[in-house]
Amino acid sequence: MNIVVCIKQVPDTEAQIKVAGGGKSIVTDDIKWVMNPYDEYGVEEALKLKEAQGGEVTVVGVGPKRVTESLRTALAMGADKAVLVEDANFYGADPIAAAKVLAAVIKGLNPDIIFFGQRAVDDDAGIAASAVAEYLGLPQLSTVIKLEIADGKAKATRPVEGMTLILEAPLPVVVTAQKGLNEPRYASLPGIMKAKKKPLEVKTLADLGLERADKLEVLALTPPPQRAAGKKIAGETPDELAANLAKALNEEAKAI
Amino acid sequence: MAERDVMEVDVLFVGGGVSSLSGAIHLRNLIEKHNQKVAEQGEGKTLDEVMIAVLEKGPYLGAHSLSGAVMDPVALKELVPDFSEKGAPLEAEVTGEEVCYLTKSGRLKAPIVPPPLDNHGFYVISLSKFTEWMGTLAEEKGIDIFPGFAGVEVLYDGDKVAGVGTGDKGIDAHGEKKSNYEPGIDLRAKVTVFGEGPRGSLTKSLVKKLNLDEGRNPQNYVVGVKEVWELPEGRFAPGKVIHTMGYPHKSDTYGGGFIYGMKNNRVSVGLLTGLDYADPYLDPHREFQKFKLHPMVAGILKDGKIVQYGAKTAPVGGYWSVPKLAFDGGVLVGDSAGLFVSQKIKGVHAAMKSGMLAAEAILQALIKEDYSAAQLGSYEDALRQSYVGKDLYKCRNFHQAFQGGLWMAMVKAGFQYILGGKILSDRLPAEADFKHQKTVAEVYGTAAPSEEQVGNLKFDGERTFDKETDVYHSGTIHEEHQPAHLKIPDLNICYTTCVEKFQNPCLRFCPANVYEMKMDENTGKKGMHLNFSNCLHCKTCDVKDPFENINWVPPEGGGGPKYSVV
Repeated sequence: MNIVVCIKQVPDTEAQIKVAGGGKSIVTDDIKWVMNPYDEYGVEEALKLKEAQGGEVTVVGVGPKRVTESLRTALAMGADKAVLVEDANFYGADPIAAAKVLAAVIKGLNPDIIFFGQRAVDDDAGIAASAVAEYLGLPQLSTVIKLEIADGKAKATRPVEGMTLILEAPLPVVVTAQKGLNEPRYASLPGIMKAKKKPLEVKTLADLGLERADKLEVLALTPPPQRAAGKKIAGETPDELAANLAKALNEEAKAI
Repeated sequence: MAERDVMEVDVLFVGGGVSSLSGAIHLRNLIEKHNQKVAEQGEGKTLDEVMIAVLEKGPYLGAHSLSGAVMDPVALKELVPDFSEKGAPLEAEVTGEEVCYLTKSGRLKAPIVPPPLDNHGFYVISLSKFTEWMGTLAEEKGIDIFPGFAGVEVLYDGDKVAGVGTGDKGIDAHGEKKSNYEPGIDLRAKVTVFGEGPRGSLTKSLVKKLNLDEGRNPQNYVVGVKEVWELPEGRFAPGKVIHTMGYPHKSDTYGGGFIYGMKNNRVSVGLLTGLDYADPYLDPHREFQKFKLHPMVAGILKDGKIVQYGAKTAPVGGYWSVPKLAFDGGVLVGDSAGLFVSQKIKGVHAAMKSGMLAAEAILQALIKEDYSAAQLGSYEDALRQSYVGKDLYKCRNFHQAFQGGLWMAMVKAGFQYILGGKILSDRLPAEADFKHQKTVAEVYGTAAPSEEQVGNLKFDGERTFDKETDVYHSGTIHEEHQPAHLKIPDLNICYTTCVEKFQNPCLRFCPANVYEMKMDENTGKKGMHLNFSNCLHCKTCDVKDPFENINWVPPEGGGGPKYSVV
């Protein structure tokens, strides 16, 4: 099977995010970058599929040179090849612009299945995967927590509000991975050593005949409002606590 | 039991700090030079494809590096002469210096800066950032860096060190394998360099097994608790350096404060506390918060915002506490070797130089294919003759002199600096820090001192923070589903002798609130609860537990703080 996984490099979850002067982007010096956590489920599922049914896993990323590190992590986990479309200014691009680039790369790889994380944890957009599916004319199975591939078809389990959907689509298909799909494996030391020798192709937008064409523009980026400190309700007995809580909810929070 | 995979490397550096990275980079340079020489002169053997690996438990290089810091660039200039062009992240050259003695509300500025603390020509740095930068240099030189992997056992061939075993990943809290279980591997090397920083966990077991501390003083430590703050424009000049003594420490507690001006309106502020303190209610984190409330410090930090928090121990035993540094198959470098020069409060240059001198000995070992203690011992000889050895020798009784309290120490310190190190006898003895612990009754005259007596503080969340808030600002995170990595051999002691004598000081000396006595609803009794995922990997608990009842071992690799500017 020809398996492709798309990954995005995002700020580390523990990074303190600050808005840059200009109010339209974040300060990126001093930030540590990691593979988008949802993409890890995509990489793991791809590797499990390869182990079960044979084939090759290619991992694709777009962005500045530092994205190489996350691609190497995927290679260390067991992916076979990587492709980086390198562009120093690509971080923060309109997800449709990113999807155009990814689609151009993926087309040449002839995949049976393409994995994404269900959304990126920095912009929470969740658009690129659907856009890629659209550009390539493929069906999409999204926020998947269980996947079975057999007889040229993909069967996916997907939780929605109040119920679970079971969906089926013929290959090739785009799948976006949700937490619970699997437990991503650790990159082992031997894996990291092997990864150094695996092919990592670097292309530019020009190589693909593309130009950056963002249609969405960020107008303003503001941090969330400061949360007021929590208040501890005074009281010794459950009755006292309940009375004081009710009073606070009524008088201070005006909730009841 | 399944056989672990084995990976062979030529030289293994354990710990991705500045001592290891300096050693690895210098070794690679030396090998290149050696091979060039062989080619030019047409004689000798080249050293081909020497694999140099660096093992680091943090998620990236610099994640577990923390210091004040003011760095003497002497070693940097030797290792990377073009450090400026290579973008070394130096915050500022030291511009102005001040040493003051603080009282609760006032300060006495020293008329001159005591010579050991003269920092002219030195640089304020963030050790975390500096380490990260050194990592990029190392990678460019083809050194294999492995972040996210913890060394959990030393491998031996008889008495010869043969490498290090890494920890398993994917084990749950009950010790069962999870679905993504990945066994650790045995990294075998011709030479293993231990640069684990202060109170290294592998170094600790190694020193014991090979008796490397025979005839030496035990090591003593301080814990440094610090925060980086962002201040209003122009408040504190980059390169301005302030060192303080006195408040909040009482005269029988070793330590002092520091405030270092960084660039971009940031400042490093911290407090060192000697871990040989006697008061079981002393809390180094709380004392640091008090330091920030002193009028001088509060004035500097006014309207500022905290950027990052962290804590780490540093070895202050000095010359007489340095163990034997070379053994069959390996050497100790940096803070693991105890090379911190406490009188000058400088360890970075010493760590770097020790790595470089180790590399020189290792080059010869590789050429001669002789990795014995005798061969590697040339490192220790070179170190003693170097500026590191000379500095350490000169202030060899500095820390021990504090046994009589601050005033006596200052007198002695003054004399010893002038007399080149001698104070009365040539070598002053020392005891392990935990042995200095006095009981609650001895210190307070009562078994239950009041909040006020103990000196508790209410944190305001703006200028002072509780431990949980501070830990949040360290970026610390661990895989939650794993066994606690703080090993307590005899939990019974916690509920009997320790609580009777000392009221469980671990609840206070840990700067991350790892140790908590929680009420068990079922038994109605309080039980020791470990919030291990708060752990800053500072090693205070391993040093200070009065019964040596806490053994710090590395948690699953990749966990711990995520320092970037401390």
